[in-house]
Amino acid sequence: MAKGAMQSKQSPVTARPLSPHLQVWGWTVTMASSITHRATGVALYSGTILLAFWVYGLTLGPAKFQPIGVFLTSPIGIAILAGYVWALVFHLMNGLRHLYWDSGRGLNYATAKTTAWAVFVGSFIVAAVIVGAGLAARGAV
Amino acid sequence: MASKGTSTFIFQRLTAVLLLPLTLWFLFNVVAHAGASFSATTGWLSAPINAILLGIFITTGALHMRIGMMEIIEDYIHGGLNGTLNLINWVVVIAIIAVTWWSLFSLAF
Repeated sequence: MAKGAMQSKQSPVTARPLSPHLQVWGWTVTMASSITHRATGVALYSGTILLAFWVYGLTLGPAKFQPIGVFLTSPIGIAILAGYVWALVFHLMNGLRHLYWDSGRGLNYATAKTTAWAVFVGSFIVAAVIVGAGLAARGAV
Repeated sequence: MASKGTSTFIFQRLTAVLLLPLTLWFLFNVVAHAGASFSATTGWLSAPINAILLGIFITTGALHMRIGMMEIIEDYIHGGLNGTLNLINWVVVIAIIAVTWWSLFSLAF
């Protein structure tokens, strides 16, 4: 492990063998990408439940579906959809890093750091393009 | 799960790879149908190819996320509730898959 990745915030004098939990490490982009991968995974768990409810809602007919449609096109609904799109894009792009690591490549710190930044920046750009295209398609912008 | 580690690991990767094209297809259709009317949306899903692909996307995603949630449960919950939570995890995932396919069949016929 490269220097920096395992930096403790504690001074050497008071440092004791601690369980490696979040608060004892200095932040690194690789750590942030790992945490975000898990967080977006949990978000997508909820998102998939909502997606199944949405498909079920369609079977209820246009009158009963109407409030769902109104909610989804409200600012809160659009924010949830945009967040879902970004979570999906981030998890997909960072998932590619995981598959690349599974092949035994890209594991050194310099490469992992570069690909972590690429996924953060890339996922925001791709998600923004998708959400922008969706809003343009429905004539909102 | 100690005896099933390797198959779970492989199944997580297999579903991940399947989800790559399915997610691209899904996101493309989210944009293509943004702002579509109720009848246009149900019309799109009444075509078997679209209904089947959406069903496979949700099913593959649900099976993939079950493994991820199981890892989280194993990381943070030790003993007691572990088995119960993993059972709830299975129930949620099976419910998602059942509701999705039942709904898609209702829309198609």
